[in-house]
Amino acid sequence: MTEPSIKRVELDYTGSERLTMNMGPQHPSAHGVFRAVLTLEGETVIDVDAVIGYLHRCHEKLAETLTYAQYPSIASKTDYVAAMTSEFAYVRAAETIGKIEVPKRAQYLRVLVSELQRVASHLLWLGTWCMDMGGALGGGATIFLYTIRERELILDLFESLVGARLLYGFFQVGGVRYDVPDGWIASCRQTVDQLDRRISEYEHMLEENPFFMARAQGVGVITRGLAESVGISGPLLRGSGVNWDLRRAEPYSGYEDFDFTVPVETAGDCLARYRVRMVEFRESLKIVRQVLDRLPEGPISSRPGLKSVAQTRIPKGEAYARVEGARGEVGCYLVADGSAKPYRMKWRGASFSNLAVLKHIIPGHKVADIVAIMGSVDPVFGEVDR
Amino acid sequence: MMDFLIPVIAPFVVLNVVVGLVTYVTLLERKFAARMQSRIGPYRVGPHGLLQPIADALKLMMKEDVVPTAADRPVYNLAPIVFLVPCMLIFATLPFAPGLGVADLNIGVLFFLAVSSMEIVGLFMAGWGSNNKYALLSAMRAVNQVISYDLPFVFSALIPVALAGSLKMSEIALAQDGLWFVFYPVIGQLGFVAFIVSTVAAENRAPFDILEAESELVAGFRVEYSGMKFALIQLGEYAHIIGASFLGALLFLGAWSGPGPEWLGPIWFLIKALLVFLLVTWVRWSFVRIRVDQILALSWKALLPATLFLLLATAVVVVWRTNGGF
Amino acid sequence: MGASELQTVGEVRAFRDARRTDGTNVIAIVRAILDAMRMTARNLFRKPVTVHYPDKPRVYPDRYRGLLALVYEKDTEKEACIGCRLCEFVCPPGVIKVEMIKGEKRNYAKTFTLELYACEFCELCVQVCPTDAIVMMKSFDLATADRRELLLDKDRLHALGLQHEQSWATGNKLRDMQGPPKLSRTVEHAPKAETPA
Repeated sequence: MTEPSIKRVELDYTGSERLTMNMGPQHPSAHGVFRAVLTLEGETVIDVDAVIGYLHRCHEKLAETLTYAQYPSIASKTDYVAAMTSEFAYVRAAETIGKIEVPKRAQYLRVLVSELQRVASHLLWLGTWCMDMGGALGGGATIFLYTIRERELILDLFESLVGARLLYGFFQVGGVRYDVPDGWIASCRQTVDQLDRRISEYEHMLEENPFFMARAQGVGVITRGLAESVGISGPLLRGSGVNWDLRRAEPYSGYEDFDFTVPVETAGDCLARYRVRMVEFRESLKIVRQVLDRLPEGPISSRPGLKSVAQTRIPKGEAYARVEGARGEVGCYLVADGSAKPYRMKWRGASFSNLAVLKHIIPGHKVADIVAIMGSVDPVFGEVDR
Repeated sequence: MMDFLIPVIAPFVVLNVVVGLVTYVTLLERKFAARMQSRIGPYRVGPHGLLQPIADALKLMMKEDVVPTAADRPVYNLAPIVFLVPCMLIFATLPFAPGLGVADLNIGVLFFLAVSSMEIVGLFMAGWGSNNKYALLSAMRAVNQVISYDLPFVFSALIPVALAGSLKMSEIALAQDGLWFVFYPVIGQLGFVAFIVSTVAAENRAPFDILEAESELVAGFRVEYSGMKFALIQLGEYAHIIGASFLGALLFLGAWSGPGPEWLGPIWFLIKALLVFLLVTWVRWSFVRIRVDQILALSWKALLPATLFLLLATAVVVVWRTNGGF
Repeated sequence: MGASELQTVGEVRAFRDARRTDGTNVIAIVRAILDAMRMTARNLFRKPVTVHYPDKPRVYPDRYRGLLALVYEKDTEKEACIGCRLCEFVCPPGVIKVEMIKGEKRNYAKTFTLELYACEFCELCVQVCPTDAIVMMKSFDLATADRRELLLDKDRLHALGLQHEQSWATGNKLRDMQGPPKLSRTVEHAPKAETPA
């Protein structure tokens, strides 16, 4: 493969000494616990060394001790901001090995919650990114509070469906655990309409706003060559001109039945990634509406009743299942050995691979751009450290 | 007897009123910002949060005064005072009603502008005395920014001075008896906008407050201050912004003129100043902040030429008016 | 030219600088600024979304996964728990500990401890319970200064069951919701494969 295109950053400074500064694991614009050791020359960053591992909770070892029924509620804790897609990867992997059918209604319900979760996750992304750029006492906090207010609507929907707001345990091997209660579909439609209107408000606040453009345009450019070689995925990839979305490239769980466009921008900077995610908002809401219109009747699990909580044995085999999470490709590589617990589970966190691009794009920018870039990369450290 | 007492009592009264006003203006800002963000501000301390500023003041007074060991003591201790005094001194020249003011100087506006720039010294002393790399960096940036924006500030404040023909504040207010300066076609509105922008920037308020809440410069030049010294710095900042709001209300919005009897004048003045303050707050809570090099570029490349040009246009208009046409 | 053709640092910088906003379009800038301020002003006049909790109670949905509690049987007023320990086996963090004591017609739980401070609230214990004995409540208010108060024993669990409102979900309801039992027999599972691809 071609080498990454930026190997060395040349800076024509005369004399001034280099300063090593630590953006420690606790800092106000944190997206989690992340330590970046920066080498600065004046105001410009020369090198960034990312130190991770502060949130390591041994998910992969834990999966070896839990059965296939017990682990999905723990899988939500990897990407806790988009918990539904995290559980999805594990459950899909187990179903692939065991060749377990998923009924149509369950597939559509999975798509429904995944897309709602994508909207909720992007709302949080927008809020925290603007807050990092604008400050906790300032315009950023305003947008943060607006997006959190909208996210509450989606979390209320999930609360009436599942009973929990952040970490769900909605998926189980063979289907889903909960069916929609009465009146949920109507309130879901209402919420979707309201979200559509509110997202237009955010676009009014940010699009063409000179302050926002000055912070986001031309900052953190990921060239296409770099994007294809470093291994990033999700909106980062699509913001650099690569048309790759797992929902379109390798459709799973009924995504082939729905009509949606995959946004691709070629600029590669923070603004392009912002635009990709804003279009993804609307496309996800479009998918949700289609699912609500076409939700078929039927069982919601092919292993209903006691089988759902029993110690299911998955026959020997291995599979890698991936889903398009809000941050990129979330994958689960599962090795089953015929017993009720997996032999090995390896988690591919989208943010872990996305963080690899920081070393290539941050050098050359000013310190103030780091928060803009980190925000547009949108890492969640539960996925990074697992 | 009264001639002796009034110059002693008046500053005392004004100072206390200003301190009280400033503490309650923080509450106003918090409630206003909260309403813009779909929430309510302070609510539980006192009815609707009315005792919140008092609670904050008490808390700050009771805090431990932590001084870094390696700090430059005299400079560190004096900095909040050197920062606060000019911010309070600007209220000396403001006339709150015709004849009601501490010192209605002939060069009132000049005094105001000159003294309000003195706070930079206090700011830099705070950054230097803290013996903290990041406080120093932030103080240097702050000095840079404040100096760059003081020039457009002065020039946009000179527009009403040119229109009124005097630096004396009460005369400027009286010259707006017929029509407030902000309603003058084009130059009034543009001058007001330029004044607001330069005030916001000279005061290090968002969207130009890069040195306050960034990830590495957590609180800028005042990162090492706590307790009462921090309270003094906060007081100074808000006093400056309120003073600039009063100045804006006087220069552009006609100070005390308003419908109703004479004694309502100071009330109208206060209301107008609070409206200017709310405008500044509205701007603060609507936009993300821009980087410091972009802030300086905006000042030198855009705002300064614009205000110079406006001042020139104002001068042309004034000459045209006094000569009754060319 | 898109980002796909950039190769060197110099080109990246030139590309980045060329894409900066042209700051001379003053009308667009002013309109954008006023647009943003209009949005903020619009929200100024909306009702705040704050819920004055705890002065006003919060409305919980039917399926809310709150505190755990043990319940009594409806008709006989005896404890519903038969001490089968299925909840103990299914709990992912393993916070439930049950000891069974045998009775004449049915078994009981001698001791039932639930460490609420480690509970995940995943509802798997509710889903597995054959007698709908353990349920979740529509409340989570058990904040305390002493962690030992969160180590719930059987009496505490029964008291909680009487104190709060119960959520909709019980074991049988959750299992029935996933599909009628007879349908499950028609979905064939593939024979155990050796090594799929």
